[in-house]
Amino acid sequence: MAATNPRSQAISLLVAAKNHNDLAVKLSSLRQARDILISSDPTVAAELIPYVADLQDSPDSLVRKTLAELIGDLGLMVGERICMLVPVLVAFLKDNSPDVVKQTIVSGSKLFRNSLEDIALQFLKFGKVERWLEELWLWMMKFKDAVCDTALGPCTVATKLLAVKFLETLILLFTPEANDCQAPSPLELKEGRVRDFNMSWVVRGHPILDLAMLTQVANNSLGLLLDLLQSSNVQKLPTSLIIVLINCLAAVAKKRPLHYSRVLPALLGFDSDTCKGGHSVSIQHSLKTSFLGFLKCTHPVVLSSRDRLLVALRAINAGDVADQVVRQVDRMVKYAERTARDLRFGKDELLAGDPIRKRPLAPDDGADTNNDDIPAKRTRLDLLSSPDQPSQLINDQLPDSGLINGTSGPASLLGSEMTPVQQMIAMIGALLAEGERGAESLEILISKIHPDLLADIVMANMKYLPKGPPPLSTRLANSQAASPWPPGLASDLIPSSGPASSSLNSPSLDACASPSLLSDSKRDPRRDLRRLDPRRISTPSGTQLASMKTEDVSDVQTGSNGSGSLSTPPTSPVVTIDEERAEPLVDRVEPGSLDGAIASPIGNITAKEKLEPIHEDLEVEPVSELPSSSDLTVSSLSTNNETHHPKLDETEVDDGKDASCLKESDENSSAVPTTPTCEEIPHELPELPPIVILTEEQQESLTKTAVSRIIEAYRQVRLTGSSHIRLALLARLVAQTDANDDIVGMLQKHIIEDYQHQKGHELVMHVLYHLHSVMISEEGTDFSFDDSVYEKFLLIVAKALRDSLPASDKSLSRLLGEVPLLPASALKLLENLCQPDASDHQGNELRNGDRVTQGLGAVWSLILGRPLVRQVCLDIALKCAVHSQDDVRAKAIRLVANKLYHLSYVSDNIEHFATNMLFSVVDGEPVADGKSTYLDPNEQRLQTEETSASGSQSSAPDILDCVEKVARNVPVVSLSQAQCCMSLFFALCTKKPSLLQLVFDIYGRAPKAVKQAAHRHIPILLRTLGPSYSELLHIISNPPPGSENLLMLVLQILTEEMTPSPDLIATVKHLYATKLKDAAVLIPLLSLLSKDEVLPIFPRLVDLPLEKFQIALARILQGSAHTGPALTPAEVIIALHGIDPEKDGIALKKITEACSACFEQRTVFTQNVLAKALKQMVEQTPLPLLFMRTVIQAIGTFPALVDFVMGILSRLVGKQIWRMPKLWVGFLKCASQTQPHSFRVLLQLPSPQLENALNRYPMLRPPLAGHANQPSIRTSLSRSVLQVLGLVREPQAPSPSLSQVSTHTPDAGSSVQSGSLDFLSTRCSQNGRALQDEEVSRKGLSGRPPPSESFNCSTLPFCAQAEAAGGERKREVWGRERRSPALDGRFLNPAEKFFSKTLFFMGTFSLSISISLVAHI
Amino acid sequence: MEAHALLRREGFDVSSYGTGAHVKLPGPSLREPNVYEFGTPYKQMFDDLRRKDPELYKRNGLLPMLKRNSSVKLAPQRWQENAADGSFDVVFSFEERVFDMVVEDLHNREHALMKTVLVINLDVKDNHEEAAVGARLALDLCKELEAAESWDDTIDEIVPAFERQHRRKLLYSISFY
Repeated sequence: MAATNPRSQAISLLVAAKNHNDLAVKLSSLRQARDILISSDPTVAAELIPYVADLQDSPDSLVRKTLAELIGDLGLMVGERICMLVPVLVAFLKDNSPDVVKQTIVSGSKLFRNSLEDIALQFLKFGKVERWLEELWLWMMKFKDAVCDTALGPCTVATKLLAVKFLETLILLFTPEANDCQAPSPLELKEGRVRDFNMSWVVRGHPILDLAMLTQVANNSLGLLLDLLQSSNVQKLPTSLIIVLINCLAAVAKKRPLHYSRVLPALLGFDSDTCKGGHSVSIQHSLKTSFLGFLKCTHPVVLSSRDRLLVALRAINAGDVADQVVRQVDRMVKYAERTARDLRFGKDELLAGDPIRKRPLAPDDGADTNNDDIPAKRTRLDLLSSPDQPSQLINDQLPDSGLINGTSGPASLLGSEMTPVQQMIAMIGALLAEGERGAESLEILISKIHPDLLADIVMANMKYLPKGPPPLSTRLANSQAASPWPPGLASDLIPSSGPASSSLNSPSLDACASPSLLSDSKRDPRRDLRRLDPRRISTPSGTQLASMKTEDVSDVQTGSNGSGSLSTPPTSPVVTIDEERAEPLVDRVEPGSLDGAIASPIGNITAKEKLEPIHEDLEVEPVSELPSSSDLTVSSLSTNNETHHPKLDETEVDDGKDASCLKESDENSSAVPTTPTCEEIPHELPELPPIVILTEEQQESLTKTAVSRIIEAYRQVRLTGSSHIRLALLARLVAQTDANDDIVGMLQKHIIEDYQHQKGHELVMHVLYHLHSVMISEEGTDFSFDDSVYEKFLLIVAKALRDSLPASDKSLSRLLGEVPLLPASALKLLENLCQPDASDHQGNELRNGDRVTQGLGAVWSLILGRPLVRQVCLDIALKCAVHSQDDVRAKAIRLVANKLYHLSYVSDNIEHFATNMLFSVVDGEPVADGKSTYLDPNEQRLQTEETSASGSQSSAPDILDCVEKVARNVPVVSLSQAQCCMSLFFALCTKKPSLLQLVFDIYGRAPKAVKQAAHRHIPILLRTLGPSYSELLHIISNPPPGSENLLMLVLQILTEEMTPSPDLIATVKHLYATKLKDAAVLIPLLSLLSKDEVLPIFPRLVDLPLEKFQIALARILQGSAHTGPALTPAEVIIALHGIDPEKDGIALKKITEACSACFEQRTVFTQNVLAKALKQMVEQTPLPLLFMRTVIQAIGTFPALVDFVMGILSRLVGKQIWRMPKLWVGFLKCASQTQPHSFRVLLQLPSPQLENALNRYPMLRPPLAGHANQPSIRTSLSRSVLQVLGLVREPQAPSPSLSQVSTHTPDAGSSVQSGSLDFLSTRCSQNGRALQDEEVSRKGLSGRPPPSESFNCSTLPFCAQAEAAGGERKREVWGRERRSPALDGRFLNPAEKFFSKTLFFMGTFSLSISISLVAHI
Repeated sequence: MEAHALLRREGFDVSSYGTGAHVKLPGPSLREPNVYEFGTPYKQMFDDLRRKDPELYKRNGLLPMLKRNSSVKLAPQRWQENAADGSFDVVFSFEERVFDMVVEDLHNREHALMKTVLVINLDVKDNHEEAAVGARLALDLCKELEAAESWDDTIDEIVPAFERQHRRKLLYSISFY
């Protein structure tokens, strides 16, 4: 009866709606009919559908619109009859009334979603789908296509907006939510209470819903939206549509990160200015809001595009807001992490029994005063499916910075913690809960999780590891065997805990537990493994945790399989059910009690979350209500609501429970027959301790054990090929323990142990990168992650590598090269490596040397590979390059000059530095030590030695320089300092010869030490430069003033070891010809010059200081291997004599000195040479000025030449020598000195000249007269000569002169010692003998007839006589010599003076001649 | 509230909300604002302020304002908690910051009704005089929107016209219920 009434009523109303004339009546009738239909029994409604469908042809658009609305409202409640109505909707989409179309889209959307959910859920629930749903779905797809057409086709803006919105919904529906692919649990299915539909509900093998196809549809729809936004006629689109498009796309991107990568470029690329006609400000604002929304999203995909978003936001002047948001998000993330970490404590508080303090995580801002106002929306507890929570929270926080307002307080705060990790954990938990069916998906899911994320998941769970494994593993094993519930069921990854987390208990993730939970947990509680878990009874201890865990993991599969067989008929008493229900919750609250496994933080969070709102209207409900709902098929909403409370109560109660009653309660549990009320539970419910509170030490040791186990497990891990997970895991552990010393030490040991093989490097990198990312993400926030942790770890590892690996190992360098950030301390370490402390380098010099190489190698690779620290590293290298230790310096210089200098980006710096160093020593401020130094005595001595060592080259000015400086007490750069600072520069010169110019430039003003250093470096440099010295030639051709010495040195080196190139010769010649008139520059080249080239410059060479001339002379005579000497010694002598003092502007003295220098080289300028030269010169006209002098010298040097000289003298007589006054003086002198050999020559003189000669040398007269008086000679003499000699009557003055002389001698000095005379005579005799030998050997060569036999013979007897003559007479001779007026100088004319000086100069040799002469008499 | 009062007088179905965490009223100094929870009746605030410093709050117009407000509605409400109030056709905000929050809040809600809502921002300085002007402007705009058969179709004309006419810049967005 009850059914007929509404049915007939509805029929009449529907008929009225169709046929009545008045529109108002029609509408009101239709609305009434709708009310009846909706409130009536579904079967009745279904029966009436044909009547409803009949209205579609109504001419009134309002009726049609209401009909469309009605269809949406009726939806699936009419069962398969809906299939009759959907075609109506499809048809309405083409309706000419916009209102009808709009309403149709709205209703259609609703129906679409409901159908999809129903189809998916039905298969989930029953494993099959009703036939009519298939048909419905076909219609829905048709509807979808029609809406797509609408979106593209011509219609009103309002319609289009809805069509676009529909597409958005479609995409959201058809795209699985990455972070929340949790299928609804059977519990929810039962209730019919489902949350947002998610594609992941659609399982594989669904008869109607083809996953691939749906994905395709979603992609196409998204493409449609994107096309709309990007189409060329976008400027024709109304602003409102553009805004909606942007908003919809943003929503899609945000809620389904899968599409983010497609949407973002479209939005970023959208130029709001293109819409000229529209309201571009608003469009831009929509974009801004979208981007900010993205920024608030913590999904990794979105996070990775943060920079692009920031750029885009800054471009539209929203940079500040963006930065603020970024900071907020970072803070939230961090806060979430922190909260997760602190969750334990929060729980403790919770357990402390303070019911008011049920939000232990709420920030203390007093803002949670209006908890009561929590919006209805927030009471939706399925946080997992509301990804928009975080942003909302931020939103709430923005206006009141710092204030976390009450409503969005802890609840949403916790919601915002739903990081990917937590969501993933939840997802895994859900899959596990599904048992067998979920296992497959779980496998796929885990295999696809990024290792890092997986590590995070494990890490997140590890926090709740109990301190130790259960001590009674045997007992456990037994139970395992006996129980249908393998302990492994509680896998590490089950967030919702122990064995009870079967498919039926898994909804524990959702606070709204349902009655189905009860029914499923009706198994024998004693079989619940948790009861058997020894840890619930006794304090955990021991070290078997690890093994337990392994078992657990391996058993996951079994466990989930086992959960499939849970269809035990409900037999247990209610109490058991209650307890069973309570337990999962308890577990969630305190994951520490998990069965040898890791509890999930998500469990905690959700539990808390869910507890919270429930607390608000906490009213104790008697548990007795529960049994009624323990039927699998019952799905009543009211029951659902009620179930919250008892559960909560139990949880609360459990929290506060004393652990001491555990065992007892365990036994009681199955025996309690009555239904306990909430209050009774604490006393009667057998409960196990929910919490194992670990002390600090326990936590620490647990952490340590865990880490060490992970570390030790490397072998197994390598075998399984999941070492990367291990690395990620360790990295996070280190970060989480704030690089606890013990752990780091352990890690360090492991890393070093076998750095190469155990992937130590990878591990270190993982750790460092993780630490760094943590550091970065916390930057600029209030949360202070200890920045030093990263640094500390890096330093520890670096030091360990340095100390334990051989210096040749490249690991340290690689480490520094690849770490995410190089703190200053690491660079300092590197610097110390490169510059070993002077104090400790004696002991292990060698080792340090290798270390330096290692350090520099690292520096090199850093400069190459890390632009950011390039400058610092370069500084290190450069500092080493001027290091005081030779070894360090040499290595660094090699690095800098050979490797770094050619790098374009540092070469300037290097050059600049080297130049500065150079200048610093030049200008007397040695930078190397940072202070100028005074020479200490040692240094000075050293320098003097240096000077003398290099003095042979060109250091005369250097000595002066040094002396001068020391005298002035000017700060002097020591040689070693100069070397330190200059080596680098010279090394650079080898790479860039043009730098040499600078050396030349500064040389002039450089202090002595610098010059010395330069002198030392230059040879090496030039040798290295090799033949490529075009730059050098340039410098040589234009030497800066002051650099002459250096130039000489350079030339000397250049010519020393190799034949200088013609270019060089030409350059130097040119230089000499143009700029530098100093002939010294030519000296090095002399050996290469030809005779014709040398002769013109010879006078200039003579003009040089004597030393230089000597060098030049050596060069000239030395010649080159190819051409032979430029000049022969004889030619040299002739050239010397060819110099005209006046014409060539050379002081006569210079020439005489040069001659003397020649004579000194007796081995070169032999008597033969001299003879040859004299012979040639005597033929010259006019005779060389110094000819006679040279003759005298020659005979002085080589007495054996006397006969030859007599030949020369007679030749001179022939040339009327008396006509050349200067030479005449010399001639006479020579004749006088060579008497008696010269008598014959003298007698050849015409009588006036003879007289002149005798007047000048009166003492010649007696011996000469004696000589002439010999009969054989006298006959050949002319009368006038005899007259002059007084042999023919005229003035008779024969022999008394001799006696006269003799009488005088005793007065004379007796200073001459007989010893020296003996010596001299001996030498004479030796000379004589040598001369004789020589003469004999060269007889054939001499063009002149050999000297007379008599002369030769007489020499030897002379020596013997001299020895026999006794001392007295010799002394007389000496005395006479000394008194000779010729030596007095007063009466001599200039020429005579000259000769006398020469004689004096010649010293002992001339003396011996006089002696011999006298002795002969 | 000024606009609320005015629009209500003109016959519109109006609600007004705050978006912050608290209701903040000027205090004796900038650092000492009077902070109330949403939901605190205006009357209560009125009494509180009158007790604290009647002279000051009378002078700065707070007391008269609270008195007027209490005649409009009982207590301040919070936007983020207005889900129960049903859907609106148009939302006005008088500050861009608020606009952003409203838009974002709407985006984050479930769009089950698929009903469009227009969110408009009209910058108005937060003082009594400007509020009066702003209220007038809001009323004008509402009337124009009301006049249009469907604002969805004509918003592109209404907004620019309004901007030209009143030399005010508007910002708008569209969301769904």
